[in-house]
Amino acid sequence: MKKRRIMPASKGAAPLDVVIAVMAFLAALALGASLIAQRAADSWSEGLSGKITVQIMPPTSGPARDGLDQETEAALAVLKATPGIAHAAPLSQNEQLKLVQPWLGAEALVADLPLPQLIDADIAPGSEINIADLTVRLKAVVPTAVLDDHSHWIGRLHDLARTLVWSAYGILFLIAVATASTVAFATRAGLDAHNDMVSLLHQMGAQAGFIARAFEGHYFRATLLAAGTGAAFAAVFFLAAGGLESVGYEPVPFLPPLSLKPIELLWLLAVPAAAGLIALITARLSVFAALRAIH
Amino acid sequence: MVRFENVGMRYGAGPEVLRDVTFVLEAGSFTFLTGLSGAGKTTLLRLMSIAERPTRGLITLFGRDLATAKRSTLPALRRRIGVVFQDFRLLDHLSAFDNVALPLRIAGRKEGEYARDVKELLAWVGLGDRMNAVPPTLSGGEQQRVAIARAVVAKPDLLVADEPTGNVDPEIGARLIRLFAELNRLGTTVLIATHDRNLVESTRAREMRLVDGRLVELRTPRP
Repeated sequence: MKKRRIMPASKGAAPLDVVIAVMAFLAALALGASLIAQRAADSWSEGLSGKITVQIMPPTSGPARDGLDQETEAALAVLKATPGIAHAAPLSQNEQLKLVQPWLGAEALVADLPLPQLIDADIAPGSEINIADLTVRLKAVVPTAVLDDHSHWIGRLHDLARTLVWSAYGILFLIAVATASTVAFATRAGLDAHNDMVSLLHQMGAQAGFIARAFEGHYFRATLLAAGTGAAFAAVFFLAAGGLESVGYEPVPFLPPLSLKPIELLWLLAVPAAAGLIALITARLSVFAALRAIH
Repeated sequence: MVRFENVGMRYGAGPEVLRDVTFVLEAGSFTFLTGLSGAGKTTLLRLMSIAERPTRGLITLFGRDLATAKRSTLPALRRRIGVVFQDFRLLDHLSAFDNVALPLRIAGRKEGEYARDVKELLAWVGLGDRMNAVPPTLSGGEQQRVAIARAVVAKPDLLVADEPTGNVDPEIGARLIRLFAELNRLGTTVLIATHDRNLVESTRAREMRLVDGRLVELRTPRP
């Protein structure tokens, strides 16, 4: 004969289970969003750091192109002689025209404009360049050279990324608190409905631990199932977003990809695990509180 | 075994339900508690089964003063008491077998150890073929017998029963009384609260009567 659990199994999903599932879905979305924000912040800084750009203004007198070419060569020589610069190359005329095209158009006239020459240089990974010293040495050979190490942009992007990450954490925290409260409330409400059973077991001489075990297991399983369902829906959402992005569809332009890597998807398991744990602890504390109220 | 000294009981700010109740139940005794509805029988049984604390007076159970007993020692004392509740208080989702086995599970016994005893007991109370039925599918009388089997299965030192034969026909009632008598013969102290005069008259057991919360009449066991 199969020994039945003392606590009855619930039939179908109770309304509060649905609420827990929805809250777990939102919590998993917030958790995923914070992971994405963190990754975006990292990739933005990686994309721009490690690069410097030198801008050489065209000479105001004499044959513009020749003067510019000489100065470019001189600047390139300085850059290449600098330890830590892995690669330096001037942008071609076409590449430069493409850069100004959005503002000035592709008219033939633009080609005659005295555009400054840009040189892209990559800093070798792990190397530190003394920007101030390099600027001085560049200015010595090319007085009009302007050195940009993108630190201004990187700084601002860092700030933006940090704000995004902390906002995501903030939202995650709020949703986690709401989910935890919902789980605790559902567990307490369920226990209130079974108060007669608690008092019967108590009357029959059951220790508090025995009664708590009968209830906490039930609420742990029920909450794990509900929160697991919610988190699974969130995982499906991220997988679907990843699938769309892999076929070239960009749901939100400029924003980082919404998909999560498999290892990041594992993080979503934290949502049902935490919810189950909260249910377990709440059930145990509630049973002890209920027993204290009985003689 | 059980000693009540000047016990008084009131619920909240209500009137006193029990007043100056004093009696002793000797170990191995068999006693009826009679009285009209509302006389305080159920309250007295609740005090005796450690479900309530008295408002005043002293209760001593198994030689322990309940007023000074540590809270942590009460579950062990309660496990020595079998209670038949007037409203049965069966768990509706558990089979008759599992309901009866509950005190044994609470005591930490394994199913392999007690399955035979439980089945035998259910057969004794006439429910051998209804072991797997859940309470909502049982008649009132059948539920009452499950409740009685649950109260006696762990062979308690003290059995308190609130109207245990109220819902069964006379033949089954007599059988249940024989069960209580058998348990009593094996050493259990038995207190049965009942309205049933025939039941009381059918035995020579001691009778205590409650009138308006006072224990006014004591009938000592007849020879």
